Amino acid sequence: MIKKFLSLQWKEFARSASFQKGVAIKILLFFAALYFGGMAIFLGTGIYFIIKKALPGQDPMVIVNNFLIFWFMLDLIIRYFMQQMPVMNIKPLMVVPIKQKTIIHFLLGKTMISFFNFIPLFIFLPYSIVLLFHGYAPLHVIFWFLSVLAITQSLNFLNVLVNKSNTVFYIVLALLVLLGALEYFQVYKVSELFGVVFNGIYNHPYLVIVPMALAGFLYYLNFDYLNKRFYLDNAISKKIKEVKTSDLSWMDRFGKLATFLKNDVRMIWRNKRPRQVLMASAFFLFYGLFFFTQKAYDDMPAMVAFASIFITAGFLFSFGQLVPSWDSEHYKMLMSQNISYRKYLESKWYLMVLAVFISFLLSTPYIYFGWDKYAMIAAGASFNIGINSFVTLFGGALNRVPVKLNEKAKAFSNTQGFNPTQLLIALPKMLLPVLLFYIPYLITGYNLNAGIITLAASGLVGLAFRNFFLNQIEKVYQKGKYKTIEAFGEK
Amino acid sequence: MISIQNISKTYGQNTVLNINSLEIPKGQSFGLVGNNGAGKTTLFSLLLDLIQPTTGHISNHGIKVHESEDWKPFTSSFIDESFLIGYLTAEEYFYFIGDLRGQNKADVDALLAQFEDFFHGEILNQKKYLRDLSKGNQKKAGIVASFIGNPEVVILDEPFANLDPTTQIRLKGIIKNLAADQETTVLVSSHDLMHVTEVSDRIVVLNKGEVVKDIVKSEATLKELEAFFAGKEEI
Repeated sequence: MIKKFLSLQWKEFARSASFQKGVAIKILLFFAALYFGGMAIFLGTGIYFIIKKALPGQDPMVIVNNFLIFWFMLDLIIRYFMQQMPVMNIKPLMVVPIKQKTIIHFLLGKTMISFFNFIPLFIFLPYSIVLLFHGYAPLHVIFWFLSVLAITQSLNFLNVLVNKSNTVFYIVLALLVLLGALEYFQVYKVSELFGVVFNGIYNHPYLVIVPMALAGFLYYLNFDYLNKRFYLDNAISKKIKEVKTSDLSWMDRFGKLATFLKNDVRMIWRNKRPRQVLMASAFFLFYGLFFFTQKAYDDMPAMVAFASIFITAGFLFSFGQLVPSWDSEHYKMLMSQNISYRKYLESKWYLMVLAVFISFLLSTPYIYFGWDKYAMIAAGASFNIGINSFVTLFGGALNRVPVKLNEKAKAFSNTQGFNPTQLLIALPKMLLPVLLFYIPYLITGYNLNAGIITLAASGLVGLAFRNFFLNQIEKVYQKGKYKTIEAFGEK
Repeated sequence: MISIQNISKTYGQNTVLNINSLEIPKGQSFGLVGNNGAGKTTLFSLLLDLIQPTTGHISNHGIKVHESEDWKPFTSSFIDESFLIGYLTAEEYFYFIGDLRGQNKADVDALLAQFEDFFHGEILNQKKYLRDLSKGNQKKAGIVASFIGNPEVVILDEPFANLDPTTQIRLKGIIKNLAADQETTVLVSSHDLMHVTEVSDRIVVLNKGEVVKDIVKSEATLKELEAFFAGKEEI
């Protein structure tokens, strides 16, 4: 029976639309996986030596155990964002003579081999091996490693059980921030408290039984939950929540564009995928913190310019690159309704400009790092509005990937980012502003202002050519119309 | 109103539609029947410029649909669920379409009031997104949305499929009313011979992409169509 399931799963995977892409994408994906795997192994191998060097005289194992709790919390949060719930096509199996329990066991077993359960394997296996080479007791190391795996599986089952509950997510996130802050500001040594637990597991190998029992218990809870609800109208069906509509008539002041803006706001608010993008783009706002706080970057204004572009471009990049795709589910309607292509594109453009503007307002606290940094962000925003918005819209015309609005992006099945044309389009978006800043800066003998002014001016020039750009982009869209409709029709 | 000239659509070696000439005058109620793969949806998609013709062209009110977008203001359609915006409620969707067609909220409300019977209390004030409605109810919303803004051409692909019997009967009444209005050209396709003969003035039968029958409705039409689809009549 399991063999049959496996063959079904294999077919589902091999025949899925996202897998049947060009060879180029597959190769890129392979390298990406190799890269991330390699990084994880590298980190796993290096962590022992890094700690040894950074904190001489301390046992790296103790340090790792102290901070393990943060790793697990982070793990849970990443899972919330990325891990797909196991949805096997159960419906057709419900009426055929297969034991219900077999199906559920298989379903849960499937979650165990999720990508997210392999990350710790890549990191902690090399780490454990390094430990063994340095004369740590094999018995202790091996059982500690098994414990980590068991806890990872527990997190996996916990995540399935709470089924992406927002409440749980915010509690974990709040806890992480709280504990992290307590640790960072040295109010309370959280790490030592939890270190006791994990060091205990290391020092007493027989305690491996605890995480294993926990994993088993959570597995049982999941099994029980599904077993009792194995009906069409229960666990398997999607929940329909009552809709709360919000009045968006205040947006009517935007005139004709209000129609589309309202629609886009609703789209972002009511669908999982765009919400995910919105959250991700909020992280871009903090990009400056990485660069502005490091002394090393003070002498590298090009890097600072690079960061400044990103601060206001989060939404523009992540939302904009999927511009026609957001409407892929009802594209035929848009193409036959009483809308000109031009108006449609214009409304998307305004949305992106609005987002850049809001990001810029939100970036005001960066003044703390100096007015020159803030001026750089302003220049970056200008460039984003005047140039990048058009480049992004143009890139969208070449992107014909249907998006399922109400499904979260899967880790590694979201190949849009790896699309070669997208990569090509992404280059000017990031390199051009750096060059526009850096070349005048060099020519004027390292004058920051020259760079900032050129960058800001380029945005204004772009804005002046707005109609020209939009006309050109419209032509590209018109040309690809039939292809786009066809591609969006393939589900 | 609609003039189809030399239109054909070929995928690779496979010609799915090939029509020499077909004229649909203004105000006609036009019914399209045919088995699966006969080319009904292809023809409607070509009419809406959703696919590119291999040869020929279609004019709507004298406007070649693949050259200009000017036919859009007076043409409306419901082909399938991809014409709905799944994340809107029915009301929001109607107002959105209304906005696109220059109708304010009050205009749309007035129109919707006429369809209260047809909605059967299952569309408005449901606090549900369109994507969460049943197939039949989605269809009801889509069909009514295509009436917003007094279009001169209404194209409905398989409007009767997935509807319950009561709604089918009501829909027939609605389409007949629309057809009685000499200003509106209605194009309907269907698998149900009875429904389509009841609502249309003229019926065209497509078979493997070609027009095999083009009849003005009479008493004998239904019998003739049944004989044809039962395979009793040679083409």
